[in-house]
Amino acid sequence: MTISPSVQEEHIATAIRNELGNAVDEVTSQRKDRISVVARKDTLREVAQGLQRLGFDHAVSVSGVDLLEEKKIEVLYFLSSYSRDDLKHLVLSLRVKLDRESPSLPSLTPVWESANLFERETYEMFGVNFEGHPNLRKLLLQDNWDGPPPLRKDLKIPEMG
Amino acid sequence: MSTLDLNVGPQHPGSGHMRIMVKTDGDLIVEATPDIGYVHRGIEKIAESRNIIKNIPMLCRPNIADDSHLNWSYIKPIEDLQGVEVPERGRYIGTILCEINRIASHLYGMAIMGGIFSGHTTMYMFGFGDRELLLDLHEMLTGARMTFSFFVPGGVRRDLPKGFKEKLLETLEYIERHLPAIDRIFVSNPVFVQRTRGVGVLRKEDAIKLGVVGPVLRGSGIRCDVRKDAPYGAYDKVDFEIPTFKEGDSLSRWLVRFEEIKQSISILRQAIRDIPGGPIARKAPIVIPTGEAIGRIESSRGEINHYVVGDGGDKPYRVKMTTGSLKNLAALPFLLKGVRIGDLPIIYGSLDYWPVEADR
Amino acid sequence: MDAGPTTEPKATSSTEGLRPVPGVWVGNLRDIVERLVGLPPIKSLINWSRLYSLWPVHLTTACCSAEFGAMMGPRYDPERFGMQAAVGSMRQSDLLVIEGTVTKKMLKRIKVVWEQMPNPKYAIAMGDCACSGGLFHDSYSIINEVEKTIPIDVYVPGCPPRPEAVLNAVIKLREKIRREEVYSK
Repeated sequence: MTISPSVQEEHIATAIRNELGNAVDEVTSQRKDRISVVARKDTLREVAQGLQRLGFDHAVSVSGVDLLEEKKIEVLYFLSSYSRDDLKHLVLSLRVKLDRESPSLPSLTPVWESANLFERETYEMFGVNFEGHPNLRKLLLQDNWDGPPPLRKDLKIPEMG
Repeated sequence: MSTLDLNVGPQHPGSGHMRIMVKTDGDLIVEATPDIGYVHRGIEKIAESRNIIKNIPMLCRPNIADDSHLNWSYIKPIEDLQGVEVPERGRYIGTILCEINRIASHLYGMAIMGGIFSGHTTMYMFGFGDRELLLDLHEMLTGARMTFSFFVPGGVRRDLPKGFKEKLLETLEYIERHLPAIDRIFVSNPVFVQRTRGVGVLRKEDAIKLGVVGPVLRGSGIRCDVRKDAPYGAYDKVDFEIPTFKEGDSLSRWLVRFEEIKQSISILRQAIRDIPGGPIARKAPIVIPTGEAIGRIESSRGEINHYVVGDGGDKPYRVKMTTGSLKNLAALPFLLKGVRIGDLPIIYGSLDYWPVEADR
Repeated sequence: MDAGPTTEPKATSSTEGLRPVPGVWVGNLRDIVERLVGLPPIKSLINWSRLYSLWPVHLTTACCSAEFGAMMGPRYDPERFGMQAAVGSMRQSDLLVIEGTVTKKMLKRIKVVWEQMPNPKYAIAMGDCACSGGLFHDSYSIINEVEKTIPIDVYVPGCPPRPEAVLNAVIKLREKIRREEVYSK
């Protein structure tokens, strides 16, 4: 199980850089079968459509990370491919950092329908607003939940060691 | 057109605790909206406050019938971050446990769909009776029937005990002899075929758009399986096929599981014949270095992804789990539109939805 | 013709003024029936019929349901105890097995199911999570003490408990029913 990136990932990273140009901040590959693309909130839709043209047709999931020290919330889209055989082994993480006070970004459900349920979950767990989502409401929590979004570091549960 | 609001509630004569709010016009379903979250226990939040080893039993509980896959998918990113490589014998033992687990989980899924949801109690008894032999094998190898917690950073916990190989081959031979009986009674049974053939058809383009995984994906004609696309464990050293059917209806999803059992039997025979000697684990520290990593495993209900972020301590900073059932849930409102109420249990059962895994 | 002032008969208890005669029961009908039914032959018959046909509701709560399903399988065979999950509807069952963790969202629905079950009804708390919170006791969305909402008869610890342990709990419940008073609920 090697962990260093191979030549193939470098080729794909170069193709992404060529296709998307200035819309992305950074495209790196830190280990085998993994590529990371950093985008900005205003260019996110354009980057998503570009990646879909390149063959990434499957949004595996959407996640959030509460970076308490930087005072930011990072939203990540994990992408892979069903139809292209040369991209099936990859997981690409498309990430964007948002302000922690009122995080909001354009929804990518119009681009990948499979991101629908995961954006709802990130909305209720982190408080991130997805503009343009067809059905943004709670997915898992109980109806009368009145605390802070649970996965933020504000909600404390006892440390168990 | 006035519709009637029905509630296929958290308590229903099948199994599983999720609610489907159904609007019907007579016998036809106009709209179906799933309502989930009845088993949401906040596992991702609890995982941030416990040591990585103490997280293992808890992170395996979402899908108790598929315990080894969830375990391995959590440990792989931690090993990537620590830079530890599992020795070959450890990977073979992990593959053997995962494949026995896959057969047991498929028998469970087939028993629920063929047994409870379509009303044939015989399939329930066949599925659960044969599964007990596999749980005996689990107990021999790991000590527990279903909750093994067998993978730790660096490898696996135990070696194969004495007499395991003979018992494994004997059990596989019994199951292989019993599969034609299931074929005769269910797959070729005109009643079962009429209830499932052409019911809940998911075409290839819709399957890609909705992002389904696992047997639901392979029942719609897309040949994707993490064991072949990004091999892990010992899967690159054994020979097996990925059964795919192009009709996309409930019967093809059932048949994918049936054929996968046969492939798993073949993988197990090869693995137990070719397993090398050597250590089963390497020493690994109980800290996660700073960084992030993703693990990908094919479980019996679909692809599982774990995203782990470390901050240098012994507790993970963030653990995100994506399980097969949550991704397959997107297909449920789509498939239920325009069908009759009597087809709802069959479609729901063919997706093999495990609510605990979807809610985490 | 005037009917003279009528006197109301004084309200008396049903047995006042009557001399007890040995071998004859005197009293109102309900007391007589309760005393008869509470005697050993009929009480044992009623209790025997209840304990030999405990039908569980089809309500799965969390992961322990996999072991409950295995218990209903052919190796452990609960049908020899009369326990078959044939119907699954709550109106026709008398045993509620709370398998696993109870979340806040699910508690309301379990209460609705419990209230719809006709008397006499029994409840078994299966698994560590139903007994006391278990592995997830510090979570933000679960209930640690189910017994405050539903009266539990037997607790089965384990994570998950083996099917033999659940059958043992059913046997203990049957012993409890055998000793029960018929009109105690």
